[in-house]
Amino acid sequence: MSRATQNALVRDDRTAYETVTGTAVGLSGAAFAVGLTALLDVVAIDYSVAGLELSVAFGAVLLALGVSVVGFGMASRLGYVDAAPQPSAGIVAAVAFTGIWFAVGAVVSGAAGLGTGGRLGVGTVLGGIAFATTALPREDVGSTAPAGALAGLCGLSLVSGVVGPGWEQVLVGYNATLFGDTVVPVLVLFASLVTGWSAAKAYGGFGARGRNVGAYVLIYLVVCSILAVLVGLVAFVTVKGLPGLFNGFGVGGAGLVRWPFLTNGAGLLADIAGVFPALVGTVWLVIGAVLFAVPTGVGAAVFLSEYAEQGRFTGAVEVATNGLWSTPSIVFGLFGAAFLIPRFGNQKSLIAGMLTLGFMLLPLVLITSREAILAVPDEYRDASAALGVSKWQTIRSVVLPAAIPGITTGVILGVGRIAGETAPILLTMGGGVLPGKSAAPDVLGSFQLSASPPFVSNPALLEATSALPYQLYALITAGLSGNIQNPQEYAWGLALTLLLVVLAFYAVGIATRYYFRKKLHQ
Amino acid sequence: MSQTDAEAVTTTANRTDGEAVSTTAGETVEETRPEWTSYEAGGETKLAVENLDVHYGDDHALTDVSMDIPEQSVTALIGPSGCGKSTFLRCLNRMNDRIRAANVDGTVELDGEDVYQDGVDLVELRKRVGMVFQSPNPFPKSIRENVSYGPRKHGDIDTGLLARLTGRAEPGREEALVERSLERAALWEEVRDRLDDNALGLSGGQQQRLCIARCLAVDPEVILMDEPASALDPIATSKIEDLIEDLAQDYTVVVVTHSMQQAARVSDQTAVFLTGGELVEYDDTEKIFENPESQRVEDYISGKFG
Repeated sequence: MSRATQNALVRDDRTAYETVTGTAVGLSGAAFAVGLTALLDVVAIDYSVAGLELSVAFGAVLLALGVSVVGFGMASRLGYVDAAPQPSAGIVAAVAFTGIWFAVGAVVSGAAGLGTGGRLGVGTVLGGIAFATTALPREDVGSTAPAGALAGLCGLSLVSGVVGPGWEQVLVGYNATLFGDTVVPVLVLFASLVTGWSAAKAYGGFGARGRNVGAYVLIYLVVCSILAVLVGLVAFVTVKGLPGLFNGFGVGGAGLVRWPFLTNGAGLLADIAGVFPALVGTVWLVIGAVLFAVPTGVGAAVFLSEYAEQGRFTGAVEVATNGLWSTPSIVFGLFGAAFLIPRFGNQKSLIAGMLTLGFMLLPLVLITSREAILAVPDEYRDASAALGVSKWQTIRSVVLPAAIPGITTGVILGVGRIAGETAPILLTMGGGVLPGKSAAPDVLGSFQLSASPPFVSNPALLEATSALPYQLYALITAGLSGNIQNPQEYAWGLALTLLLVVLAFYAVGIATRYYFRKKLHQ
Repeated sequence: MSQTDAEAVTTTANRTDGEAVSTTAGETVEETRPEWTSYEAGGETKLAVENLDVHYGDDHALTDVSMDIPEQSVTALIGPSGCGKSTFLRCLNRMNDRIRAANVDGTVELDGEDVYQDGVDLVELRKRVGMVFQSPNPFPKSIRENVSYGPRKHGDIDTGLLARLTGRAEPGREEALVERSLERAALWEEVRDRLDDNALGLSGGQQQRLCIARCLAVDPEVILMDEPASALDPIATSKIEDLIEDLAQDYTVVVVTHSMQQAARVSDQTAVFLTGGELVEYDDTEKIFENPESQRVEDYISGKFG
């Protein structure tokens, strides 16, 4: 066995090579992070640090990274460092770099004024060179040279100002314009991802260990960017919505807290317009849908998994429930409008909305409950049967308690979906654009007893009621110019309230699941 | 896990070359089966099995098995994987009813009453014939709830809200039952201070003794054990074995085991099943292990076959 394929068993001291390549990985990560913040408009790309524009600084960093990545590969190839590269960087890397360089060639030659044929030609030539450079030489050159050149090219275009804050490009045929403040961060993200991967491979000494480190860095950076988008989205709504939500907020007074946005209606008499009716409407809507869907869904799941003969019938039910779950919500809304509304006083009503959303929730509760019940080990059923306990008793005392965490997960997911649904309640529940406080449904206080059938009635359930997503939709279509002082602020506050309500339902569900799981295993 | 795999493998092997096995062994079996299996144990007969045949679909799992199991003794069932000993055990309390493809012919009499006749109350049967499984399977509940599960579901103990409000609940009875059952299963001293902890937190051996206590709590007459120690370490195994010997003073114990040493240590009489689901020899344990009649049993016991 040749010396080159052997690694030391124990790596205790950091070599200078590892320090330098590790620094390059860290620098790539930092560039990636700053690039993300620039893409999300947290920092502007023409922001100056010590007289240096951010985009130029980005370019310098990328240029340095590109040059050093190529240097890492050459150092390994010329035998200055102890690495274990394989004969080739592999077909996957080669195909990836071919695609990237083909695109680079086509875009750059297009910018230089070539026609379609010329672009394809330049792209093909560059792609071919990239393929040969990646696949043919040893791994240490193959996985650094194309990556370094790419980062260098991006860096050069930023440093030289070819692409910068003032840059813009009209996209012919797309009816859109690309601006520098989008393109620069994207270039930075992309190039730093490539150099991060390449430097990480060098850090691991190429070979199996290098590929492992490279894949780790690549996945880590991509996951970070996904999380950043999520956090950015929530942060965006929060920042925009906070002023509206806390308009007139104060501690003390009649109640413990004054929170007019949540406790006021939007009527003329309210000095600060609030979302109380829609908030109460959404809460009742979700409660009603859950009360309808959970008992029926869990009951059906128990029947299908414990009692029914597994066969064509259960198969057909399974296909049907899966189909129902992917049915567009507007179709459920139409069903509610055509079927439920004529049966509940011929007008849009809270109970029609509850039932429509209950129908939407039902398939998911059924599917997840069934999975959860099937996941309960058969040993429990055997043990219970061997003690002479009947099937129903076994289901009630052993199977369902063990399945509750799974069932709860299904209900959480379903509630998250239906709480934000607009289309079905638009057709079945209605409600005003800017309902006054008196429009809030008082479900508990409206029960009335009577001597003749149906003995109990509840007018609040039969009235058109507003809910948060519908009110937001109605506000936007009405042009945000209602009889309130600051419609923009009001609408963003409403959006934030909706987000918080959905998250609150999530929190309740997760706490429930945690409680039952702990009870099962603790 | 490996046991189950091995079982599956042998079952398929039987199916493919079952022909060969029965032809080579056929003459010996026909010649001698009547004397070797018509053993009469001392004492009252608790379970009398007559001409039992079990099919799983097309697979013949038990072939014409007849044997009498005496009361207040330990009967061991041994044999290679897939020989039908677990199937036989599961026939005794009709747990095979839970497998749709299983088809049972013949009679199993418990104190002279056929458990396979029409109108048998499975709840009552399984209260009288309890079962302990191969891998410990306590419910994900507290130790106390595990033990009192059977009596509660049968209505012998009622600690529900309504019972408490109407004064029907007798909290002392549950305590006494839990203590008595755990003590009988030699687990009381180890868990008396943590009866409300989840049973899944116990060690494997403790879990298996808890399962035995859970079975004892419904006060059965017969206890069936399906390889009760195969998932346990040697120390836990020896505790279970001591327990089995001890239980035979009050109960009729039928135990399936892979380990011949275990059968020799704990049982009074031993039945040997060999491939094809036939009962080859049934006699005093000492006789089986020291001087078996059948050449095939001798080969199996000395490790030449199986």
